[in-house]
Amino acid sequence: MMDRYTKLQTLGIYAAITVFLIFMLLPFFEMFMASLRPLDHLFRSPYQFWSEDFSFQAYSDMWDTVPLLGRYIFNSVFIAFAVTLLTMIFVVPAAYAYARLEFPFKNGSLAIFLGVNMFTGAVLLIPLYRVLRTMGLLNTYWAMIVPGVAFLIPTGIWLLRSYLEKIPRELEEAAFVDGASRMYTLRRVVLPLAVPGLIVVSTAVFIGAYAQQFLFAITFNQQRELQPLPAGLFEFIGYQDVTWNQMMAAALVGVLPVMVIFLFLQKYLVAGLTAGAVKE
Amino acid sequence: MATLNLNAITKSFGAAQVLHDISLAIEDKEFVVFVGPSGCGKSTLLRIIAGLEEATSGAIVIDGQDVSDEHPVDRGISMVFQSYALYPHLSVYENIAFPLRVQKLGKADLDRRVQRAAEILQLTDKLHLKPGQLSGGQRQRVAIGRSIVREPKVFLFDEPLSNLDAALRGDMRVELSQLHGSLDATMVYVTHDQVEAMTMADRIVVLNGGRVEQFGTPMELYHHPANKFVAAFIGQPNMNFVPATVLGADQAGLTVELSGGHRMTLPVEPGSARAGDKVEVGIRPEHVTVAPEGMEISVRVLERLGGVSITYGETADGTRFCASLPGDAPIREGEPLTLSVAPRDCHVFQANGDVLRRQSAPEMTA
Repeated sequence: MMDRYTKLQTLGIYAAITVFLIFMLLPFFEMFMASLRPLDHLFRSPYQFWSEDFSFQAYSDMWDTVPLLGRYIFNSVFIAFAVTLLTMIFVVPAAYAYARLEFPFKNGSLAIFLGVNMFTGAVLLIPLYRVLRTMGLLNTYWAMIVPGVAFLIPTGIWLLRSYLEKIPRELEEAAFVDGASRMYTLRRVVLPLAVPGLIVVSTAVFIGAYAQQFLFAITFNQQRELQPLPAGLFEFIGYQDVTWNQMMAAALVGVLPVMVIFLFLQKYLVAGLTAGAVKE
Repeated sequence: MATLNLNAITKSFGAAQVLHDISLAIEDKEFVVFVGPSGCGKSTLLRIIAGLEEATSGAIVIDGQDVSDEHPVDRGISMVFQSYALYPHLSVYENIAFPLRVQKLGKADLDRRVQRAAEILQLTDKLHLKPGQLSGGQRQRVAIGRSIVREPKVFLFDEPLSNLDAALRGDMRVELSQLHGSLDATMVYVTHDQVEAMTMADRIVVLNGGRVEQFGTPMELYHHPANKFVAAFIGQPNMNFVPATVLGADQAGLTVELSGGHRMTLPVEPGSARAGDKVEVGIRPEHVTVAPEGMEISVRVLERLGGVSITYGETADGTRFCASLPGDAPIREGEPLTLSVAPRDCHVFQANGDVLRRQSAPEMTA
């Protein structure tokens, strides 16, 4: 391979990456440090980077402070998975239709989908609340799942559509000439070839679902047992004090399962983003 | 039995009409090649026959039955695509079996037919591989295997050899001709390569700008091109066109003066040609010889291929002229050369491009 950069340029690139990474990762690092500190340590001045009494005590105490913590973590993952699954069920046929079929108002509706993405959920909270109340979905898992799905479908369609468009049209024409129906072609030809794309899109949807659930949870749900982790973390805020160290510990533990999954999916993500490799 | 008739097919994409009133009658077991430059509509015509595109008007008739509105499978056609269109995630076996799986054919029957297709195409030991592990020629065979396994009435090929290198293309040409012989099927083949057309076709359809210029056997096209376009398209190197003026017409033919001043009497039916008309004389490079007198050209580029020397030059008035001369012909670049051609080998084209029929045609061996 050719060295495209001079030493100085390489140095510059690494310096930029370092600054960027520090900016991104420092909060996580501080979260971790805070979770190790005893509570009184947190407000001590001057700031101490390290001291002898650091421990993992918060990681065991947090389960007592917030007894439902395990349930919250489960809810978070469960809601995110349910949202992802439901979203994909809607997105796959829709994205295929946008990629391959001709129908009236096709580009117009795509633009509307993009437009919907520009609203944050917050703007629509009150109308959504009324809708969910009318449907009797408040204070159920559905109250957090349904809006989640609705907000993620447009993103999913846009992402998957561009992936499906890269699958050579001739493959589908060949299947059509051989007598295969649209559904058969979708199932036997298109989807197997789109697996990397499907993984990328479901990952993006999952991240979205995980990130947005806080807003829906605090607005549409009063049931403690159904709260996801971000809402559950509120319980670390007591009447007297806030157990910051335990809250940080709980947040880290809650994100852990998701991070592990993404570690395994990483190679698909990279493969998916550099895709188009299906054509020989 | 499978005859294929196209009745007055037209096709428009929006305001652009790409096919104009195309009618063809293709006979049973015939190998017909559609040839023409890019954008002439040959692939569109093939896709209309396949049922991938709908004709704007006209009818596709297979075996006397109008199939214009039917699904490709019900038409009894199968198609081989330019890019092979193999399913990269399926093995060679499953690729070939795909049309039969769609039909929900029984396991034993399916296996028997896949194995037979694999045998014909020498793929038996490749059945477990994925298309990505095959060479270009082998992929092409798999694509053909997938098309023959259904035993259709009409095979359609869309530039199937254009992705192969030159040597392999030659081999596959021979294989396809043999396959046509052994399958006894009607085949329609699209290409832009006139060598493929000439070597494989029973009859050739020359298309240009969405119109059929000529439909005939390769030798008909070579010896009796209907117009200047066909004459220029068929033959390698291309035919030369020398501007000429008609001096007179009689029983013996047309007397013309070539742009360089050389006079000839050409044995063609004069038709409506009158003295003073501007015409073009078509001379194939392989029909000229070095002679003491005749047309003068100055040699610009010389390609010595061993057996022949392709000579590119210009006449005095700048008309380009190519001659295919013996390999050892005493020619040098930059020097003048005198060439002669037998009048019976010349073609005459009127100003509108139409040919004047030659009186003495060579033997027609189709």
